[in-house]
Amino acid sequence: MAYSFPEEVLEHVFSFLCSDKDRNAVSLVCKSWYEIERWCRRRIFIGNCYSVTPDIVIRRFPKVRAMEMKGKPHFADFNLVPEGWGAYVYPWISAMSVAYPWLEEIKLKRMVVTDECLELISKSFKSFKVLVLSSCEGFTTDGLASIAANCRNLRELDLKESEVEDLSGHWLSHFPDHCTSLVSLNMSCLGSEVSFSALERLVGRCPNLKTLRLNRAVPLEKLPNLLSRAPQLVELGTGTYSSEFRVDIFSNLSEAFSVCKQLKGLSGLWDAIPAYLPAMYSVCPGLTSLNLSYATIQSPDLSKLVSQCPNLQRLWVLDYIEDSGLEALATSCKDLQELRVFPSDPFGAEPNVSLTEQGLVTVSEGCPKLQSVLYFCRQMSNAALVTIAKNRPNMIRFRLCIIEPQAPDYVTLEPLDTGFGAIVKSCKELRRLSLSGLLTDQVFEYIGTHAKKLEMLSIAFAGDSDLGLHHVLSGCESLRKLEIRDCPFGDKALLANAAKLETMRSLWMSSCSVSYGACKLLGQKMPRLNVEVIDERGPPESRPESCPVEKLYIYRTVAGRRIDMPDFIWTMDEDSALQHS
Amino acid sequence: MLEGAMAVVKPEMKSYIWLQTADGSIQQVEEEVAMFCPVIGREVLQSGKGSSKNYAISLPERVKPAVLGSILDYCRFHQVSGRSNKERKIYNEKFIRVETSKLCELASAADSLKLRPLVDLTSRALARMIEGKTPEEIREIFHLPDDLSEEEKLEPLRNITDDPHIRLLNRLYARKRNELRERQKLKVLGDAAPVLNTEVEKELPVDERSVDDLLSFINGDGDSKEARASKNKKRNRRRKDQPRKSLSMDENGCHKESNCFPFGNTNIEIRNEPSPKKSSTSPDLEPVGLSAKLDLDDGDIYDELDPVLKAELDREVEDFARRLNSVWPERMQELIPSI
Repeated sequence: MAYSFPEEVLEHVFSFLCSDKDRNAVSLVCKSWYEIERWCRRRIFIGNCYSVTPDIVIRRFPKVRAMEMKGKPHFADFNLVPEGWGAYVYPWISAMSVAYPWLEEIKLKRMVVTDECLELISKSFKSFKVLVLSSCEGFTTDGLASIAANCRNLRELDLKESEVEDLSGHWLSHFPDHCTSLVSLNMSCLGSEVSFSALERLVGRCPNLKTLRLNRAVPLEKLPNLLSRAPQLVELGTGTYSSEFRVDIFSNLSEAFSVCKQLKGLSGLWDAIPAYLPAMYSVCPGLTSLNLSYATIQSPDLSKLVSQCPNLQRLWVLDYIEDSGLEALATSCKDLQELRVFPSDPFGAEPNVSLTEQGLVTVSEGCPKLQSVLYFCRQMSNAALVTIAKNRPNMIRFRLCIIEPQAPDYVTLEPLDTGFGAIVKSCKELRRLSLSGLLTDQVFEYIGTHAKKLEMLSIAFAGDSDLGLHHVLSGCESLRKLEIRDCPFGDKALLANAAKLETMRSLWMSSCSVSYGACKLLGQKMPRLNVEVIDERGPPESRPESCPVEKLYIYRTVAGRRIDMPDFIWTMDEDSALQHS
Repeated sequence: MLEGAMAVVKPEMKSYIWLQTADGSIQQVEEEVAMFCPVIGREVLQSGKGSSKNYAISLPERVKPAVLGSILDYCRFHQVSGRSNKERKIYNEKFIRVETSKLCELASAADSLKLRPLVDLTSRALARMIEGKTPEEIREIFHLPDDLSEEEKLEPLRNITDDPHIRLLNRLYARKRNELRERQKLKVLGDAAPVLNTEVEKELPVDERSVDDLLSFINGDGDSKEARASKNKKRNRRRKDQPRKSLSMDENGCHKESNCFPFGNTNIEIRNEPSPKKSSTSPDLEPVGLSAKLDLDDGDIYDELDPVLKAELDREVEDFARRLNSVWPERMQELIPSI
């Protein structure tokens, strides 16, 4: 006998389930729960914009208030996805403008957003509050002006790393005088100078402003004006942190910082000069997040700075920090959870800084809560990786980028299979892994055997044969996203594990050995997958069937084939079969 | 003498409210406790009922007698104003430690009595029981029927039963597949089509070979080596053409983590020879065969349908095909190389 609930009670129970996973599970329990759940779903996350159509989403979830969506594959960040690939958000905005008049939030990542879209958003949704555009492109500052001017209750405008055509800084002045609702503003990716007085007034009249990320064009000497108007800030991204040193600027800056007692996150700091760093020292003890990836300061100053931040949980920094700076970090920041070290000169032939595997080992020893790592370096050894694995079994994200492809263990000259093997054996909760260095099929066997919670795997210049890919596809039970470039993986593993692909969000393979014939076969056999061949050399038909395709993107979908593809992408399905009849 | 004294001490001070549950049973409860329930309170104030056994307040059906007792206990505890937050929290935590069935009844009853704090408490507890569980596990906990069809059970966002276009498209594909099979069967034997083409007409066999077999198959495969060699030449040529990027600063000085990925600009030699075979210690693997997938063809369901429905669907599919065909000729042009 079923435990019965009235609908309202069930809805109320569901309202305490925050994760999409739980809501999805609930909707699969039985017919009545499915129905109830779909009417009360308010937040929707679509990991791949081509996996479903706006119509299907709207039909199933009629009362959505917040939507989040991702478009291009992750490797677009490395310029591997050609211009014009797709991920146009306009059809979605258009459909939602009619179906969801009460939409409040739109968060997009790697999508093409036009000024038309932004204008439509600003005019269609009366309660619109949150717009986050992460690594998006296709719009100009005119589009931003529409948003500023028309969204009366705008709380968040975040342009994280988007590519915006910067026509002028005038857009900011479009925020009307009665706009006081801003909580978060991130314009750090923009180039043009905005009207400083408009910015000042905006900051001054928004009492709930918690996050303010300025762009580089905001001069250092003006920063105190803003800080004094917003002492309640929790996250600050400065503009340029450089200026001819003057004592008065320094003291204004120091004083302004000292008033910001709630500050927990600091970023920006373009071109930071050491002389001005001490002005920030008053906020350092409270900092949990520090992004120094634009600060070209050297190791001694960096060491000094991080030593002032004992509560740091997240640090993004250039490799100027060197092993010595990482040692200081390991000593001072016992709460550190996430570390990202970016290369200052990735294309230089010789190392320009003294950053080695030792830095990472030291941090792994000294920071017991370290769980998320992105580390660019020039040398690595199996011994170091084994040590890191032993020290940090709580690792969740481990992305290692040894700059030279296929670089072996620099001590033994062996492949790094053992090292990465140790990582996956020890870190049982590992969800994301990026491999680099010299790697054979053996590392994939380790991964397939041990990385049972792994959701995302990035592989480049690794492996010997299809066996490697086979290990991953057949062993990694939780795998959702797999991206591969320049590996000798071919048809067999892919075809043998075709069913696995329907349990994943997507698979990207470029410069591998998958033949056109295999792609066609896969596309024909798997109607619920879109098998898309990207080839800028021209139609794959013009080459032999056994010829490998340039790039391959496979994803599960209920939307059928794309209808907005450029002329260098082909979907493999029944159409291709008809060629041979 | 004593009896008389006792008589004076009778608890006439406390007043009681009389409540009647749907099954007819009546009980009395201290007024302040009962008034803690908005629904009861309203009844008392508006209709004056509840003052005696004959005028008991009828409670909503969802309030079962067993559950009423617990609810009244809850009210009795919380209506006392002197308690600290910590005390209340501890009480609440203990309160919800009951059988799932009872928790459901409590949530239900609390909702009908509009007792908001208890609704929240029980709902949160139920939500915690659901968190992190699979649909099967949830079904077990709440004794719910497994009545979604196989189709509907595709991961939720992929549910296609609602969308007629998707169903039609699938039927169309199924028919096209059948047509193709017919056409292939009529082909002359000894057709020189490459190996992979003939595989289209027959089911791909379930691959039961071991990992070692796969490896030797791959390593002994002459075709793939050729393909690899030609690909290498092309790749190295392209490498030189790609523009070099300076340290990731674009014109806005924005440093994408992305632009730092250096691999795109390096000339490297891909090894043509696979590394020497290592003896595999892993047991024979069973790669999933493709034939299993083919069973989910819409075509199979189609054949079992009622003929009237079938006819109607046929008509819809034809109509859809007509509409689709107007787009298809252009698509064909893209895929067929011009002669």
